[in-house]
Amino acid sequence: MPRFLHTADWQIGRQYSRFSAEDAPILAEARLLGIERIAALATELAVDAVLVAGDVFDAQTVSERTLRRLFNALSGYAGPWLLLPGNHDAALAESVWTRATRLGLLADNVHLLLQPGVTELPAAGLAILAAPLTQRHTHSDLTAWFDQAETTAGLLRIGLAHGSVQGILAEDLDSANPIAADRASRARLDYLALGDWHGYKCIDPRTWYSGTHEPERFRNNQAGWLLDVSIAAPGAVPAVEPRRIGRYDWQLWQVGLQVETDLEQLIERLQALPADTVLSLQLHGQIDLAAEQRLQQALNQVAARLRSLECEMDGLQLLPADSDLQALQVDGYLTPVVAELQRRQQQEQDGVAREALTLLAGLLRRQQEGA
Amino acid sequence: MRITRLAVEQLRQFRQPLVLDNLQPGLNLIAGPNESGKSTLVRAIRAAFFERHQTTAVKDLQPFDDSGAAPLVEIDFEHQGRHWQLRKRFLQRKRCDLSNGHEQFTGEAADDRLAELLGYQFPARGSSKPEHWGIPGLLWVEQGEGQQLHGAVGHASEHLQQALGSHLGSLASSAGDQLLPQLQAQLAELLTATGKPRGELQRCLEQLAQEQQQLQQLDQQIDEYREQVDLLARLSRQQQQEQHEQPWRRLRIEEARARERLQQVERLQQQQQTDQQRLEDCKARLALLLQQQQQQQRDQQQLLQQQQLVQRLAEDLQAVQQQVPIQQGLLESARSDWQNADALARSARLQGQREALQRELQQLQQQQQALGDRLQQAEALQQQIFALQQQLATESIEAPALQQLEQLQQQLREAEIRGAAIATRVQYRLLPGQQLQLDGEALSGEGELQLLQAARLSIEGVGELEISPGGEDLPRNAREQQQTRQRLQEALALLGVESLAQARQRHATGRDLQQELSGARRLLDNLAPQGLPALQSQLQQGQQQLDRLQQQIQALPAVAGQQLDPAQAETQLQRAADHLRLVELELNNRQQALQYLQRQRNDAEQALHSLQHQLQTEQGEQRRLAQQQQMQEQQQLLQQLQQSLQQRQLQIQAARPDILEQDIRRFASSASQLEQNWQDRREQLIRLQASLQGSAADGLEERRAELAASVDTLSRRQQQLQRRAAALGLLVELISAQRLRLTRELQAPLQRHLNHYLQLLFADAQLEVDEALMPTRLQRGREQAGFDSLSFGAREQMGLISRLAYADLLAEAGKPTLIILDDALVHSDSQRLEQMKRILFDAAQRHQILLFSCHPHNWQDMGVAPLDLPGLRAVASGAGES
Repeated sequence: MPRFLHTADWQIGRQYSRFSAEDAPILAEARLLGIERIAALATELAVDAVLVAGDVFDAQTVSERTLRRLFNALSGYAGPWLLLPGNHDAALAESVWTRATRLGLLADNVHLLLQPGVTELPAAGLAILAAPLTQRHTHSDLTAWFDQAETTAGLLRIGLAHGSVQGILAEDLDSANPIAADRASRARLDYLALGDWHGYKCIDPRTWYSGTHEPERFRNNQAGWLLDVSIAAPGAVPAVEPRRIGRYDWQLWQVGLQVETDLEQLIERLQALPADTVLSLQLHGQIDLAAEQRLQQALNQVAARLRSLECEMDGLQLLPADSDLQALQVDGYLTPVVAELQRRQQQEQDGVAREALTLLAGLLRRQQEGA
Repeated sequence: MRITRLAVEQLRQFRQPLVLDNLQPGLNLIAGPNESGKSTLVRAIRAAFFERHQTTAVKDLQPFDDSGAAPLVEIDFEHQGRHWQLRKRFLQRKRCDLSNGHEQFTGEAADDRLAELLGYQFPARGSSKPEHWGIPGLLWVEQGEGQQLHGAVGHASEHLQQALGSHLGSLASSAGDQLLPQLQAQLAELLTATGKPRGELQRCLEQLAQEQQQLQQLDQQIDEYREQVDLLARLSRQQQQEQHEQPWRRLRIEEARARERLQQVERLQQQQQTDQQRLEDCKARLALLLQQQQQQQRDQQQLLQQQQLVQRLAEDLQAVQQQVPIQQGLLESARSDWQNADALARSARLQGQREALQRELQQLQQQQQALGDRLQQAEALQQQIFALQQQLATESIEAPALQQLEQLQQQLREAEIRGAAIATRVQYRLLPGQQLQLDGEALSGEGELQLLQAARLSIEGVGELEISPGGEDLPRNAREQQQTRQRLQEALALLGVESLAQARQRHATGRDLQQELSGARRLLDNLAPQGLPALQSQLQQGQQQLDRLQQQIQALPAVAGQQLDPAQAETQLQRAADHLRLVELELNNRQQALQYLQRQRNDAEQALHSLQHQLQTEQGEQRRLAQQQQMQEQQQLLQQLQQSLQQRQLQIQAARPDILEQDIRRFASSASQLEQNWQDRREQLIRLQASLQGSAADGLEERRAELAASVDTLSRRQQQLQRRAAALGLLVELISAQRLRLTRELQAPLQRHLNHYLQLLFADAQLEVDEALMPTRLQRGREQAGFDSLSFGAREQMGLISRLAYADLLAEAGKPTLIILDDALVHSDSQRLEQMKRILFDAAQRHQILLFSCHPHNWQDMGVAPLDLPGLRAVASGAGES
């Protein structure tokens, strides 16, 4: 019974601009390490092939070192790797693939599917119908020819393509590189392995997106998985098992703070997070100075533990309570200053008054500590 | 605080003790002229308080050249309800005592207690300086220093602030004043005073700009790389396609085809050229034949003409030969005619001569006759002239002589008139028949006499009357008349006339004679212009000529018979000669023509023979026939050639060789262009591949992503910094504003006191003070002026008002407020001075004021009697002596 792994959108060479100089390289490295895990898993499961449905590389011009590291990572699995060019690494006249070829990086078990066509792997029982992108974007369905393609009887007809299944995926995805939704049935495919969508997704029992192997966005959409596909015989319904392969968990929290318990809950949730979390925290609502100090402390603690934490507090207003003012000994002519800053904070867009309040509180706190 | 008594001794000009007692709580006016010691008193008060008694820095207190003097100052004063006595001696026997009823201080303790009481300090060493003077320094104004406020206020600032603080209590923030400089310092790290980025913000902005530029460059590189890849793909595709299709091949075939067609046309053109040449040849041959034919025709005609010529010449010759004998006969007759005419002409000429001589003779005779008549007339005239001349000489009176007579006559008459006028007039009317004798002359009837001289009137029977005219002139007049009359008589006698009338008669006669004489002379002139003798000689010559002519006539031979008119004879002779010459010429001409014609006829006959010989041969005929045949052949050929040329030309035109040539060029260049393109593209592909395979692409997008990350980070950092700067700015602004507001509140009491005095000077004015309580700005209505920009006088006034206000403030806080003014307000105009007096007087209700002045009359209206310093000195010295 043929069994293979379906993965896609490795996007090796991806850089993360939004993270600190400390976190970004680790997250980039994680994508490569993920490949090593895939190779290990493929070996462990003794699958017949690994199908990569496009966007192996993030860009055509990745450095030679990155190129070499990727192909090195493949060495952990001796079975056939079927690599399909996607929109990021299209098989152009000069491409990452021609470079890899020139550099002699391709082991015998690595199959580059640079031309549309059928690649038959009789040992694996697979006939791969590949629809590589040979331009960055096309507006025609590159899988159309699957319908007429002949394959040796007895081999599974496996389609391999990269693009958007029409009428299924959200419109904000790139609508270039369209793929007909009924391609699998029309082309009598046993399985259509797709790439481009970064979370794993089942279009129909024979048509699947595997998603990327390591998350790289804060969309909570099942990223960091691959598909373990087994098909008993030509025409049989594939058994598809999603397997978690990604290391880091990317989370986006949008939290409103109104009452004191909100902050307590938030801090608890933060403390419960595992270390391999990449968290984007967006806070809104209001908070007094004491609570803000507590929040800051908690965030500092959690940030030290998590892979990455970024916190967006523009939506959060500082509302100093009377107790705050007393504690900070805000008296004399500072009292109307604080009142004015609070008033402005409610009207402003740019956070200047909030910043001013924070600064003032910080200075007063320090003065008090000094005193 | 108030000073009640002041005494000095051995102090500058006050060598003797001087005492001012009974100083009043309010205003005290201490007056005296310059050098009377006002400033010395002020100095004494200052020394008493500000200088430690041990100090050696007060040598100026000693009287001039008295270094042994021990300047002494004694001051009694009341302060906070107590009476104090101060006694301080400097330089010699230095000592300081301070006591009130309960306490006694001596030496330094006294000095220190005093400073504490009055609110000033001593210097650590050296002489006391303004910064030590505190409250007194502010309220004690030295001569000419009234406008200087800045230092004094600063040095008293602590006391003033205390006064304000103790009055209002502290409203100030415990932290705010510390915060502001910190905030400003932090803001200054990010922004310059003018709001430009600096420090980290500036670096951040610069780096951001730099990296954004790098990013842009990288983007450009990536774009270029992608474009090159696309170009590579496109070129490869094209190259493969062309490799397969080889589009230039089709063009090369087309080119060859066009070339072939062009060659065909060129062959046609060559044929055309050949035929054209043949056509030309044919035409030339035809022309030659035609020419030959025409020559033959012309020869025939010439022969005919020559025959006619010979014929005509023979006829002419014959005619001329016939005419010659006729002409000879004519010549003979003409010659005899001429001889006859010649004889006749000679005879006629002789006759003519005789007749001419006789006509001349006749004419001469007539002239002689006329001359003789004239001579007679002339001689008669000559005699008449002589007669007239004689008569004229005897009878004529000349005009001047007559004139003289007339004149004398006139003179006489005038003398007689004058005589009558002066003469004694005697009128007489005598009875008829009665007579009188006057000088023997009888008078009768009626009349009048004029007596020019004594006359004797005799009346018969009566006697004589002797009448003597009176007047002297009468005798002279009588003399004159006598003389004139005598001259007249003489003149008449000379002229030989009786009277003037006769003279006039003779004068007129003379004139007539003169006219007659001149008429006769003119006639004579006409008849004999050259005189009579000439006329006579002329007559004689005429006679001689007459004689000669008669001799000539007799000498001529006689001619018989009727004679022709000589002129007619001459004409006939001439005509005969002309005719003879004509006939001779004619004959000669005929003979010449005869010879000429004979020669011509010979020539013409010879030519005719030669022509006949030339033309009338057999060969010539044959040649003519041959030529005719040739001509027909050539004409046929010509037609054929023209036809074929025309047809071929149509063919050539239809084929358009020019367009064919263009086709060849077009196909050839297109093909080579395509080949070149292919070649170029192949090279371009090689270059492109080489360039793309170079290291340019290596990690390009990774680098871009890294840079983008850095730009993001920097951009966030820059936003944070800017927000921080804005927040700091906002804090500084708000805190400063609140602090200013609070300061205003705190300064309200001082402001109240200031306004209190200021209102007395300007109704609507306000004097602003800064944080250090120093006046900064005077506002009057809408006008504003900085304190330092005010006039000297105004500054002095504002200075005084400020000091008084400080004094009020200090008084409220229980501080000592003695005010000393040395020659104050000397720069104020009288109006301002009046207002300032009101202000001073008002202040004197609350403070003791010592006012030193050299102008006591200026202060007469202050309600106090001035203390007269010279007077006091006199009293003091008197007291000292006693």
